[in-house]
Amino acid sequence: MKADYRPDAVIGHTLVDVKRRTDTVNTVRMALMQLAYALSDRDSQSAGFLVLVDPKITPQRLLDEQRYAQRTLNPKVAGRLHVITYHNGEFHGLPHTFNPTDRGELLRLVEQVLEMGGTRIPSTRIYYELLRVLVHQWLRNNGPMTADWLATKTGCSYPTVAKALEQLGPAIKRLSDRRFELAYFPKDEWARLVAVSDRMRSTMRFADRSGQPRSPDSLLQRVQQFDRPDLAIGGVFCARHYYPDFDLIGSPRLDLTIHCPGHYADLTFVERLDPALEKTKDSREPAKLVLHFIRREDPLFEKRTNGLNWVDTAECLLDLHEMRLESEARDFLNSFPVARGKV
Amino acid sequence: MSDTKEVMKLVSPGSVLAQIAAAIPADCRRNLTIIGSLAVGYHFFGADNTVMVRTKDVDCLLSPRVEAVLSGVAIAERLLQDHWQFRHDARWSKPGDANTEDKNLPAVRLHPPGIQDWFIELLTVPESPIDQRKRWLRLKTSAGHFGLCSFGFLSLANYQPILTPLEIHIAKPQMMALANLLEHPMIRPETMSGLIDGRAIKRSNKDLGRVLAIAHLSIAREDDTLLGWPVQWLPALQVCFPHDWHALARRSGDGIRKLLDSPNDLDEARHTCEFGLLTSQPPNTEQLRIVGRRLLQDAIEPLEKMA
Repeated sequence: MKADYRPDAVIGHTLVDVKRRTDTVNTVRMALMQLAYALSDRDSQSAGFLVLVDPKITPQRLLDEQRYAQRTLNPKVAGRLHVITYHNGEFHGLPHTFNPTDRGELLRLVEQVLEMGGTRIPSTRIYYELLRVLVHQWLRNNGPMTADWLATKTGCSYPTVAKALEQLGPAIKRLSDRRFELAYFPKDEWARLVAVSDRMRSTMRFADRSGQPRSPDSLLQRVQQFDRPDLAIGGVFCARHYYPDFDLIGSPRLDLTIHCPGHYADLTFVERLDPALEKTKDSREPAKLVLHFIRREDPLFEKRTNGLNWVDTAECLLDLHEMRLESEARDFLNSFPVARGKV
Repeated sequence: MSDTKEVMKLVSPGSVLAQIAAAIPADCRRNLTIIGSLAVGYHFFGADNTVMVRTKDVDCLLSPRVEAVLSGVAIAERLLQDHWQFRHDARWSKPGDANTEDKNLPAVRLHPPGIQDWFIELLTVPESPIDQRKRWLRLKTSAGHFGLCSFGFLSLANYQPILTPLEIHIAKPQMMALANLLEHPMIRPETMSGLIDGRAIKRSNKDLGRVLAIAHLSIAREDDTLLGWPVQWLPALQVCFPHDWHALARRSGDGIRKLLDSPNDLDEARHTCEFGLLTSQPPNTEQLRIVGRRLLQDAIEPLEKMA
């Protein structure tokens, strides 16, 4: 948690974590601890702001929580940790020493969070981010990579990369120049990821409420009109891009992946895509739109000159598994020369 | 365009249109376009006589206006000769005469012989694009004097109508939808003179409900069909309202937005759909709201932007 924690923003020397409409003390406590860990790694100039936008917790309860934290934490860290609330356009608890330029930037950050509709995307296990990148690199036959490269792409630390490589054991082929790549498709690790992929990718499912569902093709045509470089097409449509002989007529749904290296994703496009779409938690209900989220630094989207990007091969494979298209997922995997006959 | 106290009857659009086509003199058919719920029903359900819609009046629009009186008289005479009957109601027990003021003349509302479930009503297009008020032309027939009514945006319903295999024209549903959108930039308090399945309904809600019903049926036929509407609406507006089309296009969504924002009005609109065009598979209020939002996004907002 310590090394891989990423705040929503760093303004000057201040780490900022923004939480909207928080209603549980546990969320506040966890956020304070994360900021405290991060501050303990930094110089004494740095500070940590936990900004609570329109919190649902009473001011007294928040004050109590701050006092507990101050009593518990090392004073060198606790003194630099601030809980700030934002309500009706006003900050409360902002230190007087915080300069006006940085204040403006903080305000812009909060407004951005509010404009985005405040859809908070939870953190995921970085190990699975690393695994997906490794699989993608292997399927695309992109050759060996360095730990620095992988750390940069995923936004994690070198020790985290080292630990992940160790966990993958013999599936990692190490070269004499310290570069590495997958030796084979890590079936067991992949199966573990598939089992938790909806959680790891913060998957959201949207069902039709009109009684006249738009076809996934219609949704695809429409989403292409949006200027959203953070969106990429996955699922069956993407599988056909990587594997033109993909053997499935039509598509049961539209899968999109959103790149959100911060904590918040802008989902306002869903209403524009189709006002009939409503988020559902019932996994048995047929979804017409499924959103997945990538938190890593580089989404590895395949760029297109016209229309939305494609997701990487590993995301696409996960989408097929999530749709229970197991035989098609196997064919998709085998369509890559490096995997043919080896998986 | 008229109201009754009784509940609207289930009719088969294909069979009613066939009866009308057979009854109208051949040389008058080119002047006549069927508009309203029967035209919508025929467009979507065609010759499938098993699909029924609820309606009571079949609105027949005569054009061009300069020929409307001649055609109207010819049609009325022919139908009366074939024993179609004047439709009596509380206000009009018989046709007018030379002493009846234009505004007090009854419309040509005629039942087919032996059938009370529905009747035709003759209308015509307004004289000029800037005159949207209700106007009456006098029709002198052997049975007495009638009024031929014109109002509002009826000229849009007459824009490039569809010729059916029955050799009679029906209005394009999307043009009727546009006419109704423009007719009701707000939800006016006036209610229909008759009840619809026991409920008093505001006329605005009935007409805007018709717009939603047309959109619903269009989407059922093809997912993205509403996307094509603004590019058809724009030239129709420019032809029918060469001076005002900008302003009309810009306010085309005012009424439907108000309807969607008002739960009670939307429920009235849903009620008219359930006891009207969508009687076979009526949507619930939420589904109708979604139809309205799709209509706004796909058709109305692009039209507003074009203007």
